[in-house]
Amino acid sequence: MTEVSATDLVVLKDVNKHFGALHVLQDIDLTIARGEVVVVIGPSGSGKSTLCRAINRLETIDSGHITIDDKPLPAEGKELARLRADVGMVFQSFNLFAHRTVLENVTLGQIKVRKTDKKAAEEKARTLLDRVGVGNQADKYPAQLSGGQQQRVAIARALAMDPKVMLFDEPTSALDPEMINEVLEVMQQLARDGMTMIVVTHEMGFARSAANRVVFMADGRIVEQATPDQFFSNPRSDRAKDFLSKILHH
Amino acid sequence: MNVLLDNFALFREGFLGTVELTALSGAIALVLGVVIAAFRVSPVPPLRYFGAAWVTLLRNTPLTLLFFIAVLVLPRLGMNTWSFFQLAVLALSCYTSAFICEAVRSGINTVSLGQAEAARSLGMTFTQTLRLIILPQATRTVLPPIGSLLIALAKNSAIAGGFSVFELFSVQKTLSEQGYNIFLIFLWVAIAYLIITFFISAVFRFLETRLAVAR
Amino acid sequence: MNLRKTAAAAFAVVALTASATACGKSGSPSGSTTPSAAGGSSAAAALPTYAVKTGVKLSGSKTWDRIEKNGKITIGVKADQPNLGFQDPATKKYSGFDIEIAKMVAADLGFGEDKITFKTIQSANRETAIAGGQVDYYVGTYTINPERQKQVSFAGPYFVAGQDLLVKKGSSIKSKDDLKGKKVCSATGSTSIQRIKNGPYGAKPVEYDAYSLCVDNLISGQVDAVTTDDAILKGFAAKYPDQIQVLGKPFSEEPYGVGLLKGDTAFQDAVTAALKSHEDNGDWKKAYDATLGKSGVTAAIPPLDSSS
Ligand SMILES: Nc1ncnc2c1ncn2[C@@H]1O[C@H](COP(=O)(O)OP(=O)(O)O)[C@@H](O)[C@H]1O
Ligand SMILES: [Mg+2]
Repeated sequence: MTEVSATDLVVLKDVNKHFGALHVLQDIDLTIARGEVVVVIGPSGSGKSTLCRAINRLETIDSGHITIDDKPLPAEGKELARLRADVGMVFQSFNLFAHRTVLENVTLGQIKVRKTDKKAAEEKARTLLDRVGVGNQADKYPAQLSGGQQQRVAIARALAMDPKVMLFDEPTSALDPEMINEVLEVMQQLARDGMTMIVVTHEMGFARSAANRVVFMADGRIVEQATPDQFFSNPRSDRAKDFLSKILHH
Repeated sequence: MNVLLDNFALFREGFLGTVELTALSGAIALVLGVVIAAFRVSPVPPLRYFGAAWVTLLRNTPLTLLFFIAVLVLPRLGMNTWSFFQLAVLALSCYTSAFICEAVRSGINTVSLGQAEAARSLGMTFTQTLRLIILPQATRTVLPPIGSLLIALAKNSAIAGGFSVFELFSVQKTLSEQGYNIFLIFLWVAIAYLIITFFISAVFRFLETRLAVAR
Repeated sequence: MNLRKTAAAAFAVVALTASATACGKSGSPSGSTTPSAAGGSSAAAALPTYAVKTGVKLSGSKTWDRIEKNGKITIGVKADQPNLGFQDPATKKYSGFDIEIAKMVAADLGFGEDKITFKTIQSANRETAIAGGQVDYYVGTYTINPERQKQVSFAGPYFVAGQDLLVKKGSSIKSKDDLKGKKVCSATGSTSIQRIKNGPYGAKPVEYDAYSLCVDNLISGQVDAVTTDDAILKGFAAKYPDQIQVLGKPFSEEPYGVGLLKGDTAFQDAVTAALKSHEDNGDWKKAYDATLGKSGVTAAIPPLDSSS
C-alpha cells in the first residue's frame, strides 16, 4: 500500500465494484482527512450511495482497498461489526427501529454493541436528543414523529456510538422542504464541532458553508474534486458543467 | 352406556398424550424453525444451503414417511434407546419446524431491508440484528400462520397413534375394537381436539392483541 | 453405521410404506410375488364350488328386501389377511377362508359368485357399514362379543380362532408366560394388545396400525413377538417360513361370526342355516383345507349358536 499520512482517516484505493454487468464504482481513489467534511455530488445512478455503503461494507467491493483509521475493512463477522460501529451512517429513509421508542433507538447500539450500562447510555442518549432538538420526544415511537424529527433522531443514534466518521446518504431528500433546514443545521453544527463527514447531498447551501471539498461523481467515476467555491463557480469538466446547469436552473 | 364416563381414564390418557405430543413438538419446532430461518437468511453460504435443504426435505416428505423413518430406520442406525414417544416428537418437530421456518422467513422478508442495514451500521452482529431488530418486528406478521401451524401439528400428532404412542386416536381405536358406537367415540375425540385447538387459537389471539397494543 | 445398511433400511421403509397404505388395523402382505404356501405342507387342496339355490324367499327381513331389490349381494370383508380375507393387489380378486364362508352363505341365499360384490371394510367401520346398509353382511375375523352384539347381530360362530404368539425361530419365548419384559407388537388398540398390557404377562406393548410393521420389526429384532388371532399370524408365518413361527398355544377364544343387521332374525336364521348345511355337507372342511389348512394346522367346526 502507498504511504498514508497520519491525518488520513478514510482511504479508498483502486476500488471497483460491479452489479452484474454494471460497473458502478470504477477505479475509485479517495482520501478523507480527519475532521474533513466532503460533499459527494453527481447525477442519479452515478454510484454515490454505493460508495457510501462500500465504506462501511454494506456493499462488498470487487477489488481495491478501503481502510478506516489505517485498518483495512475485515470480512463479514464480529470484527467487521466492531468497525462498523466506528462509522456512523444516516440514511435517506431514516430507518429508525420502528418497534423501539426514540430513546431506545439511541441507547440500543450503546448497550448491545459498546456494552455501556443502561443508565449511562440513557443519559448520553438524552443529551444527544437535546442537542439535535428532539429531547422532548424521547418516549414516542418513530412513527409518531415528523420526517425532520426522525432524521435528527437518526443522527443522534449514529452519534451515540462515538463514530470516527459519519456517512450521510442524501439525508434530506425524503423530507418536506420546511424540514430540510432543521436537519442541515444539525449537520452544520456537527461539521463545526470537527466531525469527519462524507455527505451525499444536492444542497448547495450546505456544501458551500460546511464542506472542505466537493467530489463530483459520474458513471461510477470521480470526475472532479475541488473546494466548494471553485467547483460551483468554475467547474472544470464538461460533465460537471452540464450537471450544475441542470440543478441550478430549475 | 356412556362412552366417555365408562372410559374416562382412557380418554384422559389419550388427551394428555395428544397435549404432550403437541406441546413438546411445538416448542421444539418453534426453536428449530427460528434457528433454521436464521440459517436461511444468514450471510454464511453453508448455513444457507443447510437451511434450504432442511426445508425442502422435510416439507416435501409426507409426515407418515417421516414417522416410518423415525420409528423403523433410526433405531436400526443406533438410536435404539429412544422411546416411541421421543421418536414421534422428533418426527413431528422436525416436520413442523420446516413450515415454521418458512413462516418466519416470510415474516422476516416483510421487515424492510433498511431496518437490518441500520442495525448493521450501528455495529450489531448478524444474530443481534435478527434477535433485536428483525424478529421482534416480524412477530406480528408471523403469529397467525404459526398459530395455524401449531393447530395443524395438534391434528398431525394423530399419526403417532399408529406408531405405538398413546394419544386420542389410540383411544378411538381401542374403544371401537371394544365395540362402542363409533360415532359417539369420534364425537368425544373431536371434542377433545377442539379443546386443544381452541386453546391454541385463544393463546395466539391473546398474543396478537397484546402485540397490537404494544405499538 | 455404514452407508449400505442405511440405504437398505431406507429402502425397507419405502417398501413398507408402499404396502401399508390405507389399511386401518391389519397388515398387508407385500403382494402376490411371495410364495404363500406354507413350507413343507402338502399340495393345496382345491377350492370347493357351491350349489346356488333357486327360488329363495325370506319374509320379514329388511336385509333380504334390500338384496332382492338390488338383485345382488354386497358382502363386507377384509383385504389384507392372507388365507383369510385377502385381495390380490394385481387381479383385485378376493380369496381366503372368510371369503369362502361368505360365498357359501350367498349360494344358499340364491346368489352365485357373479352376483356378489365384495367390499373391503376396515375394522373400525364394521358396525357402521352393517347398520347403514352399505353391506348386507360381513365376514372378516369378526369376533362375537357382547359389546358388539349391542350394535349388530351375529350368525355363527363359524370358526374359533385364539390369540397366539408369532416369534422368531429359536426364540426364547416358548409360551405366553415367557413374555415378561419382552416387546410384544400388535395392532393399535386391539383386544390382543389390551390383554397383553393388562394381564399378568408383564410385556412391553408396541402398537402399530399394520401387522406388516409388527412382522417387519419382529424379523429385524426390534420386537420379540407379535400377537393377535392365530389365524392371522399363520398367514404371515407362511410368508417367511424360515424365519418366524406361530407358537400354536392359543390363550383366548375368538369366535368368528357373520355380522348382520341388528334384530334381523329372519336373515340371521337364514345365514345360520346356510352355515349349518355347508358344515354338514363337507364344504366347510374343503374350504378350510384349501386356505388356512395350508399352514398344516387342522381345525374343528365349532357348534353354531342360534341365539347370537
Ligand atoms: N443492489 C443493487 N443491485 C443492482 N444494481 C444496483 C444495486 N444498487 C444500485 N444499483 C445500480 O447501481 C448504480 C449506482 O447506484 P447508486 O450507488 O444508488 O447511485 P446514486 O446513489 O448515485 O444514485 C445504479 O445504476 C443503480 O441502479
Ligand atoms: Mg443514492
